[in-house]
Amino acid sequence: MSELLTGLLQESISGIALGCIYALIALGFTLIYKATEVVNFAQGEIMMVGAYVNFFFVTQFSGMAGGLNGWVFLAALFCSIIFAVFFGIILDYIINRPLKDEPVFSIIMATISLAIILRSLTAMIAGPISLVPISPFGDSTIQAGGIVISVLDLAIIISAIILMGLFFFFFNNTRWGIAMKATSEDSEAAQLMGIPVKQVYRMVWVFAAIVGIISGVLLAPRMALLDTTMSYLGLKAFPAAILGGFGSIPGAVVGGVILGIIETVSMGTLSFHFAWIKEINDIIVWIVLIAVLMIRPDGLFGIAKVKRV
Amino acid sequence: MLKMIGVETFYGKIKALHGVSLGVEDGQLVCILGANGAGKTTILKTICGITESEYGTIHFNGIQIDRKEPEDIIKLGISLVPENRRIFPELSVYENLMMGGFLIKNKDLFAERIKKVTDYFPILSKRGSQRAGTLSGGEQQMLAIARALMLDPKLLLLDEPSLGLSPKLVREIFAIIKDLHKSGVTILLVEQNVNQALKIADYGYVLTSGKIFLSGTYDELYEEEKVREQYLGEGKYTRRAKLWGG
Repeated sequence: MSELLTGLLQESISGIALGCIYALIALGFTLIYKATEVVNFAQGEIMMVGAYVNFFFVTQFSGMAGGLNGWVFLAALFCSIIFAVFFGIILDYIINRPLKDEPVFSIIMATISLAIILRSLTAMIAGPISLVPISPFGDSTIQAGGIVISVLDLAIIISAIILMGLFFFFFNNTRWGIAMKATSEDSEAAQLMGIPVKQVYRMVWVFAAIVGIISGVLLAPRMALLDTTMSYLGLKAFPAAILGGFGSIPGAVVGGVILGIIETVSMGTLSFHFAWIKEINDIIVWIVLIAVLMIRPDGLFGIAKVKRV
Repeated sequence: MLKMIGVETFYGKIKALHGVSLGVEDGQLVCILGANGAGKTTILKTICGITESEYGTIHFNGIQIDRKEPEDIIKLGISLVPENRRIFPELSVYENLMMGGFLIKNKDLFAERIKKVTDYFPILSKRGSQRAGTLSGGEQQMLAIARALMLDPKLLLLDEPSLGLSPKLVREIFAIIKDLHKSGVTILLVEQNVNQALKIADYGYVLTSGKIFLSGTYDELYEEEKVREQYLGEGKYTRRAKLWGG
């Protein structure tokens, strides 16, 4: 029995790490949706681009430094974030500005096209062969009371918490953060206050790109192979966002973490004890999605959908 | 101060303003009257640059503003209190005021303005940390006005401030407007509550389907039978009622 318990605990921590990555993807997705009402289906692709770009920087820098060390990874992360800023600005120009007031359907088609284009471009530039991602922490683990935790998972959890903490601070305490909230509530009224709405939108896309790219950087070392199919994990931002309450930022985070735990735990110890869970593991998040939509469509942190006319 | 000449604004292919010309002098309280859909709100939105005019010019203190971005127009000293108040319901009262003063970069000036508007509307400082959406209708209107006053505008545009308020609150809001006007703010007011609005206004414009149909002071407008009949509730039926009443 205690074996089951430690197993569950260990997997929960691993699940929280995976969930933090889902949470970041869902966060980027929700940021854009809340502010601009654009449903961005390319968030997973942004994550994938992040993983590739970071891999590129890591190999470049390790070539220059003559080997892998902590500074190489930090420098690569820094450069990836700078890349994310430009990436976000470009996405704002090609997706958000021209499509701002178009019907939802056109916007969805455009972001799906963007997703396919990003995937193909990545495959063209990086080549068709899967890469072997490099983890800055190797396989090192730490042990605490019979539970083995991978250092990578711990690092993922800590970086995600730091990143989210920065975002929450920004949103609740800074002039521009509150302006962003105001713009997503009522963009015309925000304009009347002299808030430069276009700049706010650009900032939102840049933020979404940054969390997307970082989620890619964090996720890649957890995977055995890095290829363009990684982007499909981005689709899990939807069940995460819906579980937490569509359009709610804390909801996206909590939804992502819960989803990560459900997935990891069901795949590990539980599947060892109940064989049938293994069979449905791939679809378990989607079952959760449908269940949430049926039982509590507003999600855990749901905001009643009242649209002012 | 403000001069609109022959302004025409379109919503898609629909013409909302058919060559509107009007002027607001320094220190005046000017009122635009008209039925629903006459284009009153459009005039204010066009001045602010939210909707762009197709033809005509708008000058503010000698500066042409009809091709400028809203934020540049607001920086020149025009603030709009929009129809239905349009406060940010999920933000706190204080954050709403903070957004009203978004363009103020100087911290001391910002604190000074916050103090000024909360002195003017003490209820708002009492409710500072409350979510703005939980305020009552009258308080929300005060917040909307306070938010616009944060930038200390030279010209304040008010779009139906009495909409959806009880008669008592309507009187209160009008008293506030009158007070603001006395303190030296130039005001362009759009109202359906014609009687009250004209009483405090220096000058009035009557708008019908996107055109200025009449203009004048309260007395001049009162002279016009059509205005009395259509806007002041004094038609042939009221005259007949008086007849019966003896």
